[in-house]
Amino acid sequence: MPNIKLQSSDSEIFTVDVEIAKCSVTIKTMLEDLGMEDDEEEVVPLPNVNSAILKKVIQWATYHKDDPPLPEDDENKEKRTDDISSWDADFLKVDQGTLFELILAANYLDIKGLLDVTCKTVANMIKGKTPEEIRKTFNIKNDFTAAEEDQVRKENEWCEEK
Amino acid sequence: MSSLNTNVRPQMPLRQKDFDQQTILQRTTCYKHEIWGDLQEGIEQVYKRQHMEKKRYMDLYTHVYNYCTSVHHQSAASSAGGRVPNNNGGRNAFVGGGKKQAGHVQGGAQLVGLELYKRLKEFLRLYLVNLLQNGAELMGEDVLAFYTKQWEEYQFSSRVLNGVCAYLNRHWVKRECEEGRKVGIYEIYQLALVTWRDHLFQRLNKQVTNAVLKLIERERNGETINTRLVSGVINCYVALGLNEDEAAARGQNLLVYKDTFEAVFLEDTERFYTRESTDFLRNNPVTEYMIKAEQRLQEEQRRVQVYLHETTMERLAKTCDRVLIEKHLEIFHAEFQKLLDGEKNGDLGRMYGLVARIPDGLCELRRLLEHHIHAQGLQAIDKCGDAAHSDPKVYVSTILEVHKKYNALVLIAFNNDSGFVAALDKACGRFINSNAVTKAANSSSKSPELLAKYCDLLLKKSSKNPEEAELEDTLNQVMVVFKYIEDKDVFQKFYSKMLAKRLVQHMSASDDAEASMISKLKQACGFEYTSKLQRMFQDIGVSKDLNENFRKHMSNSCEQPLHIDFSIQVLSSGSWPFQQSSSFQLPTELERSVHRFTTFYSSQHSGRKLNWLYNMSKGELVTNCFKNRYTLQASTFQMAVLLQYNDNTAWTVSQLEQHTGIKGDFLIQVLQILLKAKLLICQDDESELSESSVVELFVGYKNKKLRVNINIPLKTELKVEQEATHKHIEEDRKMLIQAAIVRIMKTRKTLKHQHLVVEVLNQLSSRFKPRVPVIKKCIDILIEKEYLERTEGEKDTYSYLA
Repeated sequence: MPNIKLQSSDSEIFTVDVEIAKCSVTIKTMLEDLGMEDDEEEVVPLPNVNSAILKKVIQWATYHKDDPPLPEDDENKEKRTDDISSWDADFLKVDQGTLFELILAANYLDIKGLLDVTCKTVANMIKGKTPEEIRKTFNIKNDFTAAEEDQVRKENEWCEEK
Repeated sequence: MSSLNTNVRPQMPLRQKDFDQQTILQRTTCYKHEIWGDLQEGIEQVYKRQHMEKKRYMDLYTHVYNYCTSVHHQSAASSAGGRVPNNNGGRNAFVGGGKKQAGHVQGGAQLVGLELYKRLKEFLRLYLVNLLQNGAELMGEDVLAFYTKQWEEYQFSSRVLNGVCAYLNRHWVKRECEEGRKVGIYEIYQLALVTWRDHLFQRLNKQVTNAVLKLIERERNGETINTRLVSGVINCYVALGLNEDEAAARGQNLLVYKDTFEAVFLEDTERFYTRESTDFLRNNPVTEYMIKAEQRLQEEQRRVQVYLHETTMERLAKTCDRVLIEKHLEIFHAEFQKLLDGEKNGDLGRMYGLVARIPDGLCELRRLLEHHIHAQGLQAIDKCGDAAHSDPKVYVSTILEVHKKYNALVLIAFNNDSGFVAALDKACGRFINSNAVTKAANSSSKSPELLAKYCDLLLKKSSKNPEEAELEDTLNQVMVVFKYIEDKDVFQKFYSKMLAKRLVQHMSASDDAEASMISKLKQACGFEYTSKLQRMFQDIGVSKDLNENFRKHMSNSCEQPLHIDFSIQVLSSGSWPFQQSSSFQLPTELERSVHRFTTFYSSQHSGRKLNWLYNMSKGELVTNCFKNRYTLQASTFQMAVLLQYNDNTAWTVSQLEQHTGIKGDFLIQVLQILLKAKLLICQDDESELSESSVVELFVGYKNKKLRVNINIPLKTELKVEQEATHKHIEEDRKMLIQAAIVRIMKTRKTLKHQHLVVEVLNQLSSRFKPRVPVIKKCIDILIEKEYLERTEGEKDTYSYLA
């Protein structure tokens, strides 16, 4: 199996199996566009991902390398957030900063599976919480005036659970 | 927040009021400008097809990413807390939180995406406007070479550009298309195609298409061309057919290909072949033309496969068919007859192949073929002359020869096409049921009669009996003709008559062959058709056992033995086509045997009545009156006459009539044969026997053989029999027709005359073709018998009386 060298923003080089690297549609497309030249020494820089995050991403991709391809997004299908595998749940037991950086990396590298599962994790952090609890969770300052808040609440009354 | 690199990353919907808005705005504008500078340089590199390293590619990709994600500074500046930039795609739960979010669908993400998109679009436009200058003046192959080369390279570069811009495609373009806000937003690769179409194709397509057509014409004229030039252009035209109704314009609709190329190409094709085919036909025979046309059709098919789009196949084929074949159909039809006459099967096959391509084109050929086969059949039978009337073998094999010949033609040349098979069947049906022989006999039932006789020849014991396999084969052939016979009931009558004789006289060549033929008939006409034949077969088997039992019974019996060999066959009267014999008095010598058997039989089966068929019986007489001891094989009547001479050596005819009980004219025929055999003599001439003629035993009788068969069928008997058979057929048909009418009326209750006739014809067509006047007569009979009545107040309607 040929390998590929990935370089993080802080210049650490990771040697990865090409098939695993192709989890990233970005890398896959690049290899297709440039042709699969056998120059394994050529380093692929990923200037938007640091080594800590890249390491996590590679770990995730290695575990999931044999997954079947994800089905096409279906607009009509109900989206779920409770279908995170236990491995992924363990894998994502990280601090908020890391979680958000993983989301950014998944988006940058176009790894749909990882993007899905990380975003679901964040969604679960929001689910069932009051605005105040959410603010606390994400450390958000409330910059609504009382009147503004009433207004928003009124506008969104229809979706409140009764 | 501080852990994030705020320069390049989108972030969580956190409030950012505390940033200095002015500074951020300036910084981003400057930053984007910088990015675009390097990005543009990279894209130029892509379009110059220079080698690109992975690092450079990733740089460019990252540029696009950074450019697109630089948005939040702007949105932060213009509206507090916009939606999360770009990575939501409708998928994630990150939306919400900002208080004015609902009113700001047109956030900064859209603006910055559009900005980049416009820059890319302008880049492509400039590139192509530049390129056009190099190609605008070119003509012929040069323009093709230019166009195809540039297209291939442009396609390649655009694919790379599309990869570099994947982030823009994935987020900004996708959302624009999904929300359907803007028309004319495409994925970057599609954008490149559209731009090519609008700026290069629009300007060059006329000269390019013309050059392609010229090239194709040269190939049709036998030159070798560079087909890659054509296929390159065609591929381009196909790719440019973007389905713009669809989001992202990914589907192809072939519009460009069809409009710009296919339509003109087909016109060109039509023109070319109209001229060529007319010229060629003027100077060459049709057979040559067909080879040429076949070749041309193949060439055009290959043309599509090699360098056109597959969807052109059907329309091109139709065009060629029309010009190469349909326009010349009349010439083809005229030639078809000539080819049939000349038995040019190869050419016939070729013509079939060509004409079959034209819808309904084959009708005329079928008609001609049917006509031809019919004429050939009649002619063949005519040629046999009298032999066909008297020799069933000649008749049947003549028919078979015609059938075999044209069956092979239909099978090989006409691909066993069902229409042609039908034409063959129709023609055979016509000439088999009506030809010189049937006309001479003035009856369509001559054919089934001769066919049944042919079967008899095959199945009867004779020195010429064929081998078993050959016989089976011949019987199959018989079935071929049988299929076409209209009066199958006539065949059945004759066949059962002859089968009966074969069985009774032990003349069957092979039981297996008989059974096989019966099963063939059963397969063709059903159980009912052969049920009598089968029962006849059974009777013979049963009789064998019966004789055995009778013999045992006799040897166990204390009565006096019979002193003569005696065997009988018991035939159930309904199944066998025999008639009760005329008056006859059994000779006393045989009486006892008959009596003993009758007693034996009625003791086994009470209530059954035995009628003796003396005319079907025969026996052997041993002579003691001549120099040699002869064994005479004789009919019962002959025996009765000869046995009289045990008492006296001379009798008058009237005395013989009195003693034997045989009626006068019949007796005279019996005597004539005995006189001819020189067993008896008479002073009077054979043909002038009268009641008072004296017939004496000829004591000087001599014969080389010691076993003599004198049992020759009587002429009048034969004739009467045949007439009777035909008469019976008429009677039977009336019964069948009446039965059919009753069956139909019983289910329909009331029916119009016309419909009833049609249904009767339908039901009986597998047996024979009833004549309409006969059907009418049968209806009248049934009305008389009160099965039907005319419905009151309604014309031509009958109702069924239960």
